[in-house]
Amino acid sequence: MGRYYLLGKYSKHSKTLTLFIIMISVFIVISIFLPGKFLTIRNFQSMFSQIPEFGLLAIAVMLAMLTGGIDLSIVATANLAGIVAALILTKFTFPQIGGYEELFTIILAIASALAVSLICGFLNGILIAYVGVPAILATLGTMGLFSGIAIIITKGYGIIGFPEKFLFIGSGTILLIPVPMVIFIFCALAAVLILNKTTFGFSVYMLGSNPISARFSGISNENILIKTYMMSGLFAGLASIIMISRVNSIREGYGSVYLLQAILVCVLGGVDPSGGSGSISGLIMGIITLQVLQSGFNILSFSPFFKKVIWGLILVLVMVINFYSAKLSQKSIKRLKTN
Amino acid sequence: MVKNNRSFRIQKLLKQNELYLFLVIIIYSVFITSRNSSFLSLENLFDLSKSSAGMGIMAIGVFIVLLSGGIDISFTAIAISGQYIAANVLIASGVDNIFFAFFISCLVGVALGAINGLLISQFKIPTLITTLGTASVFHGALLTIVGTKAINSAQLPDCFKAFGAKYVLILTKPNGVNYGLSIFIIIFIVLALLTWLILKYTMLGRGIYAIGGDINAAERSGFNVAKIQFFIYCYVGFLAGIAGVLHISLIRYSNPTYIVGTELSVIAAVVLGGTRITGGSGTIVGTIMGVAMVTILNNSLILLGLSSYWHNFFVGLIIIISVSITSYQSKRSIGNIVFRR
Amino acid sequence: MVEKLEKLLVVKDISKSYVGVQALDKVSLSINRGEILCLVGENGSGKSTLIKIIAGVVKADEGEIIINGKKFESLHAIDSISEGIQVIYQDLSLFPNLSIAENISLNQMIERKKRFISWKEIKNIAEREFSNISKELDLDEKVENISIANKQLVAICRALTQDAKLIIMDEPTTAITKREIDCLFSVILDLKKRGISTLFVSHKLSEVLQISEKVTVIRDGKLVGVYNTEEMDHDALSFHMSGKKIVDSVFDYQEKERQKEPLLEVKNLSKKGNFQNINFKIRSGEIVGITGILGSGRTELALSLFGLNRPDSGEIYIDGKLAKIKSPRDAIDLGLSYLPEDRLNQGLFIKQSIGNNIVVTILQRLLNRFKLFDNNKKYEAAKEWIEELNIVTTALETAAQALSGGNQQRVVIAKWLATHPKVFILDGPTVGIDVASKSNIHNIIKRLANQGIGVIIISDEIPEIIRNCNRIIVIREGKIIKKVNINEVTEAKLLDMLSKKSN
Repeated sequence: MGRYYLLGKYSKHSKTLTLFIIMISVFIVISIFLPGKFLTIRNFQSMFSQIPEFGLLAIAVMLAMLTGGIDLSIVATANLAGIVAALILTKFTFPQIGGYEELFTIILAIASALAVSLICGFLNGILIAYVGVPAILATLGTMGLFSGIAIIITKGYGIIGFPEKFLFIGSGTILLIPVPMVIFIFCALAAVLILNKTTFGFSVYMLGSNPISARFSGISNENILIKTYMMSGLFAGLASIIMISRVNSIREGYGSVYLLQAILVCVLGGVDPSGGSGSISGLIMGIITLQVLQSGFNILSFSPFFKKVIWGLILVLVMVINFYSAKLSQKSIKRLKTN
Repeated sequence: MVKNNRSFRIQKLLKQNELYLFLVIIIYSVFITSRNSSFLSLENLFDLSKSSAGMGIMAIGVFIVLLSGGIDISFTAIAISGQYIAANVLIASGVDNIFFAFFISCLVGVALGAINGLLISQFKIPTLITTLGTASVFHGALLTIVGTKAINSAQLPDCFKAFGAKYVLILTKPNGVNYGLSIFIIIFIVLALLTWLILKYTMLGRGIYAIGGDINAAERSGFNVAKIQFFIYCYVGFLAGIAGVLHISLIRYSNPTYIVGTELSVIAAVVLGGTRITGGSGTIVGTIMGVAMVTILNNSLILLGLSSYWHNFFVGLIIIISVSITSYQSKRSIGNIVFRR
Repeated sequence: MVEKLEKLLVVKDISKSYVGVQALDKVSLSINRGEILCLVGENGSGKSTLIKIIAGVVKADEGEIIINGKKFESLHAIDSISEGIQVIYQDLSLFPNLSIAENISLNQMIERKKRFISWKEIKNIAEREFSNISKELDLDEKVENISIANKQLVAICRALTQDAKLIIMDEPTTAITKREIDCLFSVILDLKKRGISTLFVSHKLSEVLQISEKVTVIRDGKLVGVYNTEEMDHDALSFHMSGKKIVDSVFDYQEKERQKEPLLEVKNLSKKGNFQNINFKIRSGEIVGITGILGSGRTELALSLFGLNRPDSGEIYIDGKLAKIKSPRDAIDLGLSYLPEDRLNQGLFIKQSIGNNIVVTILQRLLNRFKLFDNNKKYEAAKEWIEELNIVTTALETAAQALSGGNQQRVVIAKWLATHPKVFILDGPTVGIDVASKSNIHNIIKRLANQGIGVIIISDEIPEIIRNCNRIIVIREGKIIKKVNINEVTEAKLLDMLSKKSN
């Protein structure tokens, strides 16, 4: 009797627990081996500064995965949004409005970035929900489209030199916490709220679990899919703003390594690529684990190529482990099933 | 009694997507030629066929993978690995033989493809994420273990340059300059033919279609699904290895960061040719035409005065449009609404 | 030994149990050369398990299997196949993207361990087998483009190419029309002439009586008996199948103070290729049965009412008001609920918790002031229905896939009851459910009607219709051919209506 109860709660909590153990272990191992350079405030600050933009992208990918799809265009979207914002920040001059021009320019830039990313997400949503294109191909195509537009606009050149006030987003602090981190915490909390406490979030999980049953249960699949991909786009747009203000520049192709890593932390964080399950908390633990590893690799001066090998290996390893754990849980369910 | 009349066969022909693609290619070519007459010149066409042979060969590999219901984005990493390792081996060993180069490159290709094959056939993991991971591993390993130094034309063994200059047919322009049909296109045609034969006349080939159609039914019918999947990814590796050698012979240069990043164009070509990503349907002819179309499109951009910056944009657009057409057609039936996504 | 063995297949005292359930308990069965035997039993009686054991796909715990005189200690699938036993499962296992000829011939190629394909040979094999069926089909046509009935014929042909001596068909008639069933039966008779035996597994008694020579009845995993068909009739078979203990009371429609206005009225509803000129009314407290073989348009009609299959013309009135139903959401908001046929794929979210499965239709009602979920409300709502419907579980968080078939169906019913529907359409509500749960669910349905809901049951199981409805609508080939009250008809008469040749 108690077995049923345990089965339900256990599997969800055991996943989170395993993740937590992994995260802590990695942290401890790296700390032991590299105490001098790892456990410094400077290092932690550096880790903290990279997590936000990447984390937002990871959440964006997670949202798409929850519906059983994937968004390969997420980095291209962020890139394009960032380029649009950068152009406004550097090329656009507001008419004189009594000293507030710079502020308005910044606001316009941010708004444009978000608008662009929302449109990109909307396009993805329409292709996947209404035209019926499989998510892999749709986002592969839009990835090309968006990066193509970015290349056409910038002709391969970078854009640099943003206003001081704008750079505050990337390098300033609010109550000692870096602004990007504040933004990320806020967005992550919002995502948690939306996914767990709203009808939209609930529908996303159900749709990812079984789109046919979802339709039969009165959920509007098209509606949910479009909103999901738009939300993905929005997160990508937010990431782009943090990105460009942190490095004070943008060029086409920036951040391309993030795609693999975002998918990696999703899978590591317990998101099921076939849809229907995954949590922000798991994702964040995955992000922290990745960041700690990344930091360790940097301290050990691993080449970016070697890091590529490791990320790829971890991704494949996690998938294989998932395969075995899924097999195990299926067996135990069969055993517990009674009439 | 079995139906078998002429009008029925013509009806079937008209339903094929390949026919329409063929028409689009013709019409577009005419359009380009009207703007820039040098397009349809034999010299340009020979040139195009030489430079697109490599992509064509990789497209054949992607085609087979898609047929089986999977997707592989690591083939570019495999191609450059085969190429770079072969070049380095040749330089280090002093052997200046093109066949040896092919041997090394294909060996590397099959080995890396086998890794993909093992992972996918034994663990049933989603092919996209798997090959995303292995692409990263392969490319990263190449750059880490073998190195990042580019090999320029002077350091390149002569066999590559000689191979790149091998022609099967040489013509002379009025001003005395020679141009010719490269051997590359022959290699491409041979491989396409080989693949076609395998798909049409061997159990292995039919097995690939079967897996793409219904993998469970394939298991139940007695197909050795794991073995067939393993073959597929090894074959892709093999093709990628060949494409790698063609590439180095074409540009007379080897930089280990090249080729990777062109996955989009290759996939676009295959998808344009009518192969469905859900598996089980697609033809070699369609793939060849898809490659032709993408190549022509690319070439036309230059001839029309548009810079190469537009490349990604158009490739993305091609994917979106061609897939939209096929997806929308199949979405309309009630069966799809009620019994599938 | 020159004499040909008469008994092709003999299984003795086969037992099989899964944890907690005795699927088969000392069941015996034998089939002669050229015989047509029907294996009959309710859903959940153990038929499928027995078939899988004969096919060598599942191993029995005890018992003997003797094929062609050879005793098999441990039967593997490959042994069964090489002895000439071919199973055609319900899902047919065909390749949709390959041609008919290939589907028929490929298995033989694999068996012969061929490496290369001769298209001529594939065509010859296919033509040879298909000519026996003498149907007009283009053998190069892709299987995904042909009808289900034709797919069945292709599956049979495929089985025949492998020199089958016994063909086992698992519920072959669920998805084909009457005419096609007759065609199938003539094929089976032809097989008999060729000395090939057929084991026909079904729970559709009329067809069993039509085609078989002998009937083996099993119930709750035990052998009830083997009978000659000519000595059997519908009632007797039905009695043997269901056993005496569960006798559903006939539904008692309480007409009294029900509102005169029909809850649901359908006028002249038509959709090309699906149904034409459908007219009927459902009043509060009624249980109306819509019956007809699959292919008759009943599910398509139900989907139209639910917003998933837009009709070309006609009107739907709910509570007297014209209803514009463009999506399931519209239907739900207007008070319509639809329980789909395929519980696992269309009704449940198997990896989600039971609680989530139940509340998915009433999300709006679980919100607090801030438009956020109130966990208490969610808990209460789910709990209410778990208790109401006696769903056996200990926690809301348990995943739906851990439940038995009967309990799963109750979860899906709960999901719909939570919306407080006015009209509840149930499509095949007891398919694949054990006998006890079946009766249970029927009682739930009757209770709902007595509470005032207008219920429609779509089913092709005549006993279910007879015992639960007060009115019956018979549909054939998209048209309503008969509307009767329950007191005007008997089970046999109804069967007759269904199987009448179209004029």
